Amino acid sequence: MQGKGLLTGMWVTLKEFFRKKVTEEYPDVMPDLGDRFRGGTLKLKTSKCISCGICQNACPNGSIKLTSVRDENNKRKLSTYVHDAGLCLFCNLCIDACPVKCIDWTGEFAFSGYSREDLVFDCIDLAQKRGYDPVEVKEPPADGEKG
Amino acid sequence: MTDQNIFMAISAFLRSFLGPLLGNDLTDMVMYGAGLLGVIIFIFTNAVILVLMERKVAAFMQSRLGPNRVGPWGLLQTVADTLKLLVKEDYKPHKVDTWVWALGPALLFIPAIGAYAVIPFDYQAVPVDLNIGIFYFIAISSLSTLPFLMAGWGSNNKYSLIGGMRSVAQMISYEVPLIFSLIGVIMLVGSLQMSAIVEAQHRIWFVFLQPVAFVIYVIAATAETNRTPFDLVECEGEIIAGPFTEYSGMRWAMFFLAEYANLVAVSAIATTLFLGGWQPLPLPGALGDLMAFIPGWAWFAAKTYFMIFLFMWFRWTFPRFRVDQLMAFGWKVLIPLSLANILVTGVGIYLYRMAIGG
Repeated sequence: MQGKGLLTGMWVTLKEFFRKKVTEEYPDVMPDLGDRFRGGTLKLKTSKCISCGICQNACPNGSIKLTSVRDENNKRKLSTYVHDAGLCLFCNLCIDACPVKCIDWTGEFAFSGYSREDLVFDCIDLAQKRGYDPVEVKEPPADGEKG
Repeated sequence: MTDQNIFMAISAFLRSFLGPLLGNDLTDMVMYGAGLLGVIIFIFTNAVILVLMERKVAAFMQSRLGPNRVGPWGLLQTVADTLKLLVKEDYKPHKVDTWVWALGPALLFIPAIGAYAVIPFDYQAVPVDLNIGIFYFIAISSLSTLPFLMAGWGSNNKYSLIGGMRSVAQMISYEVPLIFSLIGVIMLVGSLQMSAIVEAQHRIWFVFLQPVAFVIYVIAATAETNRTPFDLVECEGEIIAGPFTEYSGMRWAMFFLAEYANLVAVSAIATTLFLGGWQPLPLPGALGDLMAFIPGWAWFAAKTYFMIFLFMWFRWTFPRFRVDQLMAFGWKVLIPLSLANILVTGVGIYLYRMAIGG
């Protein structure tokens, strides 16, 4: 019938009119980027970390720098863990490489700064501040051997 | 129907107040002035509401939220836009035909306001209840072709001129089926007076008696108001903004104001002629009494806004016609169809009279 397409079109737009809108009200409502989103800084569980340094080796850009010290039982203990997000390309290789799964993305995406230093994050400090892993005492970076 | 409504109450109050002061003749003039003021306020308020409504409807049909920054739910968006347009520079392009160019938007507003003189907003609330009401409306609304052509010609711009020419071609072509579609209703009523047309729909709305005429009217009215799918006059993909190309600031806003004034006017006429005007929904029994409890102006506003929503719905659903398709559709489909409708209506009235032995 002539004009049937017009009615079909009007039915489509009417359904669209009452449907849930897809607009994301970004600054007011944070978007849900899904589980597989790679971004932000590294969420470090310092108690789980064995200071093996595989993440540091896996990083193609050298954006992870960690140092460790030996404790009385001759076990390695993390002393510093620095993630330079300015160098990071969010490739996920460090997280895949970690044998104890102690790092993960924080998933934030709006952390720009005014200088390169603003993008360098001390992950141990962050973990304590944000409460990812409250039980941890940060030790001074003594003449510990590298990882 | 109640004999008393808010408009009559206001009118009676003003008359009782002014009558002793000014005498009868002067009071009549003041009352016409008050009516005009009311109409102008009505147009401006509606334009403000409709610009927001158009953007919201457009957004909703495209799965967006639309304006939502200025005020709650974006309600003050139009106010902000109007303020912006008011303070913009009044820019006059070099080599425009100054008088024709400047008069275009101002003159376009005259038929837009004039058309409201005969619209029955409520029982006995017609600014001027002419006995040739609908004829007056048709006559005055066809005048809006000329300012479009003036704007197109005066702008000294080829796109504007094309838009102006298209406007004339389109509006004159679609005026014919528009008027023919109204004739069916006029034949049923036997009067051109708006109040009589509304009264005649006390039992049944004419949309049920004249469905074909209603469809033709809606199509032709869309073309008359230059709205999609018949917006060949502006048609930004082809000719920038047609006759509006060289206008900015408040002059450009005048075109918009007139466009929305025309939109409300054609919707109000559709309400009056086909949807029973201010009459409530004719339901039997207690339900009908309940419907009659809602005031007439609310019915009128609800029906008019339904028609406006229909026009917006068309706009955000259908793609634009090509010029030759538009002309072919107008002359080869709508005009024969509307003529056939007049014939069928005439025969129907004759048979009805035979049947009731009149």
